[in-house]
Amino acid sequence: METLLLKKKDFESFTSELIGWCEVISPVKKEVVRFKKIKNPSDIYLGKNSFFPVKEFFFRKKETIFKFKSNKISIPKLESPKRVFFGLRKCDLNAISHQDKVFMETIKDPYYTAQRKNAYLIGYHCNEAPSKYCFCESLRLNDFFDLMLYDRHKDFFLVEIGSEKGKTIAKRFRKYMKKTDSKVSLEEKKIIGADRLLDSNIKGLYDNHGWQEGVDKCLSCTACTALCPTCYCFDLKDEVKARNLGEGERVRNWSSCQLKEFTKVAGNHVFREKREERFKHRIYHQLDYFRERYDVDLCTGCGRCIEGCPTRIDFIEIINKMKQGKAKK
Amino acid sequence: MNPDVLMENKNPYIPVKCRIVEWKRESPDNFTITLDLRLKHEPGQFVQVSIPGIGECPISICSYSEEHLKLNIREVGNMTSAMAKLRKGDSLFVRGPYGNGYKMGQFRNNNLIIIGGGCGVAPLKGVIEYVERHRDDYKDVHLFLGYRSPDNILFKEELAEWRKKYHLTVTIDENVHGEFCYNAKTGFITDALKNSSIDNGNKVVFICGPPIMMNYVIQVLKEKGFNDDQIFISAERLMYCAFGACCHCMIRGKFTCIDGPVFRYDEVKEYEND
Amino acid sequence: MSEKKLSVGFYGITGCAGCLLSFIFNEDELLDLVKLVDLKAFPFVKEVNPSDHFDYVFVEGLVASNEDLKVLKELRENSKFLVSLGACASTGCVPAYRHYTLKENYEHLLYKKIEALEDVSPTPLDMHVKVDYYIPGCPPSKEEIKAFIKKIVRGLQPKPNDNPVCVECRRNGNECLLEKGKPCLGPITVGGCNSVCINGGFECWGCRGPTTDMNLDLMVQILRSKGFEDKFIQDRLTTFAGLKLPMLEKIMKK
Repeated sequence: METLLLKKKDFESFTSELIGWCEVISPVKKEVVRFKKIKNPSDIYLGKNSFFPVKEFFFRKKETIFKFKSNKISIPKLESPKRVFFGLRKCDLNAISHQDKVFMETIKDPYYTAQRKNAYLIGYHCNEAPSKYCFCESLRLNDFFDLMLYDRHKDFFLVEIGSEKGKTIAKRFRKYMKKTDSKVSLEEKKIIGADRLLDSNIKGLYDNHGWQEGVDKCLSCTACTALCPTCYCFDLKDEVKARNLGEGERVRNWSSCQLKEFTKVAGNHVFREKREERFKHRIYHQLDYFRERYDVDLCTGCGRCIEGCPTRIDFIEIINKMKQGKAKK
Repeated sequence: MNPDVLMENKNPYIPVKCRIVEWKRESPDNFTITLDLRLKHEPGQFVQVSIPGIGECPISICSYSEEHLKLNIREVGNMTSAMAKLRKGDSLFVRGPYGNGYKMGQFRNNNLIIIGGGCGVAPLKGVIEYVERHRDDYKDVHLFLGYRSPDNILFKEELAEWRKKYHLTVTIDENVHGEFCYNAKTGFITDALKNSSIDNGNKVVFICGPPIMMNYVIQVLKEKGFNDDQIFISAERLMYCAFGACCHCMIRGKFTCIDGPVFRYDEVKEYEND
Repeated sequence: MSEKKLSVGFYGITGCAGCLLSFIFNEDELLDLVKLVDLKAFPFVKEVNPSDHFDYVFVEGLVASNEDLKVLKELRENSKFLVSLGACASTGCVPAYRHYTLKENYEHLLYKKIEALEDVSPTPLDMHVKVDYYIPGCPPSKEEIKAFIKKIVRGLQPKPNDNPVCVECRRNGNECLLEKGKPCLGPITVGGCNSVCINGGFECWGCRGPTTDMNLDLMVQILRSKGFEDKFIQDRLTTFAGLKLPMLEKIMKK
């Protein structure tokens, strides 16, 4: 992989010029860290990963699928400006690649694609786990980015180019990023303290009583699925205007498998009525079901679903206990 | 409309407008809509039907024809009740076909046992029409169709035809009026099945109906020596996208919309109720 | 729409009329909404006898007097569908909190001169008559009222929301107030309010009543673990929907 060197003393000028080039979205420290459009390089916060995931910029919370009026359907114009997403962690970059698989490779979703098309992804590689709930090293994540910054040296970042888009940025900002013979070793790509999941293969644990510990602490509040950078389920709903009931739009909204509504059919039967089934469904979709179809775990180990859970249900601990045969009866 | 027009549609969420050429009541809460839509599909597949402003819902295709598309609908929710108010000449929006239907090619030279309960008969009617057009490919065809009451019997006109061509048994759970109706036997479909002489030799079974009915039917089939991989069931789930993205229809790791709605029983038997 | 318009009435029994205001607050679409129905009654605007016939009647407030009860029963008898509008009507809201306090503690404050208080214990509508639909909340969401009317005029069944407030709150990108040590009841409370209180920095008090899926045991445990005392927890949980939590007493004893 082609590697460049970006001096830390140039970081401010580089990011400042980046902001001049297009919209830049990066983690910003407010009450919590979140992704926001920034105006100044000093807004960039790299101390911790964002509490909220970046997915809302691509798989948007609410998307107008089409508008209708008197039985005529029209599709809204789909476009997004050129945007740089700066400071994405490895987990979040992989999460984008997993959602890409669903929305771009499998179904060619034009709404998601429109948001993704002009997005440049610049990563910031963790040296050690930024949260005690991280477990990305236990999953097989890939190098997925346009550019990735490695912060292993006092005076400079090593920057890897991961795509054509990455090349475009590197070329445009070549006065800051110089070619170097240094390489980022596999050892340097290891993230310390993020390998706490003993084994991500959870087949055979479905009927284990060990899940109960998590189920008892679950409110089904959906914090986990909303904060997850990969969860992608949705509803479709029609909204009409009071002025003309034949005029309105079909909208796509985020949904959550933790809700009873999620499997309720006409006639009010709920297929996953029990909290336990819903609790396990999310974890199995993340660590088992998705792999059957896409050959990769959906989960990328960011730990947000634990950090953001009101009762901190640590399903990694729960799985480890079951794996070690230590689950309480 | 061209057969493949829907598949060419680049945006997978966008339905196409078609026209209702016939609207026919089948029973007090059930009706059949015929659309001027020519669509390549296999029996057991479904389409997503939209009425802009009201919503969208999956409806199984109950015909097998190159000329039109028939949908049989039971009024249970907002969408289906709104469809009940439509009439000939009205427009309806459709996208599809979706799902994994009955792979009829694989069952050539088999005897077919087709078991339907209530509006579960609808997708099976598509199978029957397919068989009609490929009659030499299949051996004996047994139909077991169960309904709640004489009023609920569907496809009354077709029944007479089917009786001539196949081994047909119609049951009704209760027949309070004692009226004559289509040679139906009073009693549960499971009893009719038990009392029949069918065995598992060189046969495949298609079942579609309410979950409880399918469970009892499978019990009877097991008693008669049928293997799980001879049995094909049809699942129903909440669905929005129908192309494997929205996740509502998942049965464990399987998507009802793309892996189903027709499943070989051994693939889902442990968690069909999830 | 050539069919006959639905006849609709709005009524208030003991309440603050805030729920009626919620309907009016649909400023942009208000006149369009009114045109969709045959609005036969609305307090202050067009008052008619409750013995009139309605397809849908929206009732605000709760039963707190014999007169309330008489009106409510009359409305029920004369309407096809009765809609409980707002928290008082749906869950009892603050007036029903009286069930959790001693009458002697407050009676003298207001009613010094009254020798005997003859009233009905303040109770939500469904403790007296059958309620077909609920639009909960103090005040109810104007969006929900609007969506409800758009549904019924097209002959569609409105579906009750049973998702917790957290669903919208997380989507809105709020910081979790429970995390910040506030006694937020979002996880057990019916959403549909767009988490309006939390958006403004106030914790959810549960004005929309409990979800059918709530984990009340756990909610109580969480509040205890945050250092709240049982008296406070019980007070908070019974403020808006105490009568809908008959199991609370048993849970608190655990």
